[in-house]
Amino acid sequence: MTVAIEGVGTSGFGRQPDVDLVDLAFAAVDEAFRDAGGPRTVDAVWVGTVFGPAGVAQRVLRAMGLTGMPVLTVENACASGTTAFAEACEAVRTGRYGRVLALGIERMGDGAIVPEPTDPEGRTGLALPALYAMAAARWLHEGRTTLEQLAAVAVKNKANALANPRAPFGGRFTVAEVLASRPIADPLTLLQCCPTSDGAAAAIVGRGGSGGGGVRVRSVALRSGAPWNHRSREVWGHDLVRDTGAAAFAAAGLGPEDVDVAEVHDAFTIGELVTTAALGLKAPHIVNPSGGLLSRGHPLGATGLAQLAEIVWQLRGRAGGRQVGRARIGLVETMGGGVSVLDGNACVVAVLEAP
Amino acid sequence: MGAVSSVDPRPVVVAGPAGDGLVEGRRCTACAEPSAFTWPACPTCGGPVEPARFGPGGTVWSATVVRIPVADRTPPYALAYVDLDDGPRVLAHSAAPLPIGARVRLLAAAELKVERT
Repeated sequence: MTVAIEGVGTSGFGRQPDVDLVDLAFAAVDEAFRDAGGPRTVDAVWVGTVFGPAGVAQRVLRAMGLTGMPVLTVENACASGTTAFAEACEAVRTGRYGRVLALGIERMGDGAIVPEPTDPEGRTGLALPALYAMAAARWLHEGRTTLEQLAAVAVKNKANALANPRAPFGGRFTVAEVLASRPIADPLTLLQCCPTSDGAAAAIVGRGGSGGGGVRVRSVALRSGAPWNHRSREVWGHDLVRDTGAAAFAAAGLGPEDVDVAEVHDAFTIGELVTTAALGLKAPHIVNPSGGLLSRGHPLGATGLAQLAEIVWQLRGRAGGRQVGRARIGLVETMGGGVSVLDGNACVVAVLEAP
Repeated sequence: MGAVSSVDPRPVVVAGPAGDGLVEGRRCTACAEPSAFTWPACPTCGGPVEPARFGPGGTVWSATVVRIPVADRTPPYALAYVDLDDGPRVLAHSAAPLPIGARVRLLAAAELKVERT
């Protein structure tokens, strides 16, 4: 069965501790329903969140009159929102439901995420910037990137965000300014790390075929990481992204050369470089036209659906000043980590086609 | 975010005969893969495991210096992924930053810690 994205929406992003999650979620869902048109009803809801308190999904949904239908909350680290989306797509594809809401919500604390003390490496002090710094240091050692190429990712994405009113952390920076910003975990500096952000994002997934602006879901793949250990030749996360991307491309009957525009997980600059290499993407100028996580900030559960919203707008030709041209095939990739010994908690790759 | 546990999930370090540190881990009796942890089965194949000790020698696979406060740790502090000889890759602290490829030895300390040899 054809699966289509009927509508997308997001809240604003950035630190907004004085805004209730109820209102952030409503902003995203209201926009998605208005975008989709038709009745403001769905058969089921998947909600992605990482730090959301128990019951947060039902709490935000009942405040907008969405009650009674099945509600499922999923946690897959940074890929929680795209996991909700993947499950919504599968539910429609298999005929289990006709129209499903995927919602991602998150309120972050101040500063970097405190590593999980029940995890061995988290307890040892491996904050997420340090995990990505390990990858960056290794790539520098292997000659696969330079400090300047790392910084150039931040320069590009933050400049892209100048045309995106939903990306509050954009700006014009030079490579030298990025490298001179405050060191976080060597070799990564502050401007190479995504800011913390609160927010929500949503997508209405349906069967398509009813005309309109439905963006077709050519495929969506979700995998969790195999052991990453002394046998691993690649840096953390590379092989999981590669394998998830390969599964998504195979299911879509497409390859990386077909992708016109992509939103990938640039939580840290090295993340974008490793991801584009692992996916086989060849044209970096079409990666993260929204400004990415580096400019949107990273509300964990909301991030994947915010990436998805950007690709939907790009494929409809409605991305305004950051439109990449006539984009026909778009890709979304989200990577979630934090469990030591694994190559990632989860990775989701979706391949989408313009209406 | 859940209830507090008294279990420390980090690898157990014991003193070796030469005063170095050894990781008290497990080796799979099915696929022979080493693990730094005392988990009940092999992370690679799910097979049965038996006690095994690894170290003290190893090679730095990657390294960083953390410049921000993390939980109760005071920055800066140096971390490295170290491939122990015929053993697992472990995350270890070091007093000084370590270059990739450096030979190190595990110290007999409560938390995994290495120094250059």
